[in-house]
Amino acid sequence: MIISNDIWVLAEHQDGKIKKIVFELLSAAIDFSKKTGQEVAALLLGSGLEEAVKSLTPFADKIYLMEDPVFIPYTSDTYLTGIAPLIKEHQPSILLGGATSTGKDLFPRLAMHLQTGYVPDCTGLSIGENGKLVAKRPLFGGKVFAEIVFSEARPQMATVRNNTFLVNDKPDRSAKVISVSAQIAPSIIKKKVTGFEKAAGAKLDITEADIVVAAGRGIKAPENFKIIEDLAETIHASVGTTRATVDEGWRDLKDQIGKSGKNISAKLYMAFGISGAIHHVLGISTCKTVVAVDTDPNALIFNYADYGIVGDLFQIVPALTEELKRVLASE
Amino acid sequence: MEIYVLVKQVPDPEAMIKVKSDTELEIENKYFTSYFDEVAIEAGLKLKEKFGGKVTVLTVDNRRVDALRRGISMGADEALQITDPALEGSDPFAIARTLSAYLKEKSFDLILAGRQAMDDDAGIVGLAVAECLGIPHIHSIIGLEVDDQKKEAKVVREVENGRENLTCPLPALFTCQKGLNTPRIPLVMNVMKAMKAQIKKVDLATLGLKPADVGSQAAQIKVQRYLPPPKRPPVKIIKEDFPDNVKALVKLLREEAKVI
Repeated sequence: MIISNDIWVLAEHQDGKIKKIVFELLSAAIDFSKKTGQEVAALLLGSGLEEAVKSLTPFADKIYLMEDPVFIPYTSDTYLTGIAPLIKEHQPSILLGGATSTGKDLFPRLAMHLQTGYVPDCTGLSIGENGKLVAKRPLFGGKVFAEIVFSEARPQMATVRNNTFLVNDKPDRSAKVISVSAQIAPSIIKKKVTGFEKAAGAKLDITEADIVVAAGRGIKAPENFKIIEDLAETIHASVGTTRATVDEGWRDLKDQIGKSGKNISAKLYMAFGISGAIHHVLGISTCKTVVAVDTDPNALIFNYADYGIVGDLFQIVPALTEELKRVLASE
Repeated sequence: MEIYVLVKQVPDPEAMIKVKSDTELEIENKYFTSYFDEVAIEAGLKLKEKFGGKVTVLTVDNRRVDALRRGISMGADEALQITDPALEGSDPFAIARTLSAYLKEKSFDLILAGRQAMDDDAGIVGLAVAECLGIPHIHSIIGLEVDDQKKEAKVVREVENGRENLTCPLPALFTCQKGLNTPRIPLVMNVMKAMKAQIKKVDLATLGLKPADVGSQAAQIKVQRYLPPPKRPPVKIIKEDFPDNVKALVKLLREEAKVI
């Protein structure tokens, strides 16, 4: 066994395009490695990965590449069987991944398999004085935060929300590619993906978008979401919503923000006609900048916003779209 | 079908929660059954109605059994509480080992759980139980069809850019997402009955576990410090009239917040 003590990042990708959170995590790992002298490695599984390797190269010292079509589409069966032996062999100190549907599906089971610790859905990571990982995450929908540390078992595993770290704009590593053969026996594959329905719109998921714009019951009718979608189009945002409109059947569940929906960590979140019920605001507690527009000056959403306008969304939203188009065109 | 449903009683989203000290929280005594667990119970009951069999609700908790009573009032046949003083301070992995120690002695077709509990939103226990038992899992399902003859399930799972259809042999563990069904509201009569229902208790020794296998000394992860949420600066209400307020907002977003 080699004790490598490296920091590994699962390089999740969509059809060979590496997800942004991976670059965030590799950038953070590079920062940690400057203090600790650890090497940074990306773990890449799939096939048709030339572009992926190229984009990862400046962000890591090593890329462990398992090129095999068995990893497409993702299932925990194949990923766990591929990754676990490699981790046992190399004993990385830390293993990070995005808090995505893949990360949240794979990491709990992988941690149990490796008999090690895992902290999900983090909004911060740091290296403590003892050189160990400290993972920070919200509890109870952000009413409390916790700093969590690990036992002596390795690797220390965590998944991290989008927009937690800045992506290094001058990455200076030059990864060497280490090809690893996967050796997945067909008998271990229990569940099989038989089909995939791509979501309409093909926008980034609200958990992955830098900007999310949302409307609630204040939008009055499902067809009125058109003005929110136009605004989203202008600033490359994804469209979110509240529990009320989902329960009415106006919008898809996958776009629901809040306690029974998704927690988002957007750089900019704009809420239109959303009163700010606790169920909703618990889902936006780690957004960076929040804008609220509502006709009710006492709406709770204003307690959670950085900027507010007391006004009618049907007047504000189209004007906002036009103003943004104007200023963005003049650049 | 033999179905087990893993459930948890959690603080209501409305409950006040504050940091009391570095390692202690003050939690208002307002609890409810984690919503996704109710979805899991409902899914189990629907399968029982179709194929016959039994639904058992199961929790690891030294204090609260209301989630079990909720399960019974909805229609579950049996309820089981795993409780032991040594479980205090257990992390999700120890909870999973405890549940698995019980389940590995049982024969079952399906284990259901919520996609995550609505307190720590961790989503670890269910999937870790599947690993301990060596059965396949599917996380965050929004569609479920079981072929009891073939012992196979057709499942729909939500991912970032769409929906995945999968097939999975049984026995398996599925975690349930909102949208899979609408949990039934139990009849008042059944709620009364559930209040009086016998809840079976099991301790660690019965499961063949030692106190050292669980609790804080066995924890893989530990809270070092609780922190209050970062304070947001007070909201800046833009007071100009329309359309100047829109222009002012765009200016602030570009020049002050620098997010567009």
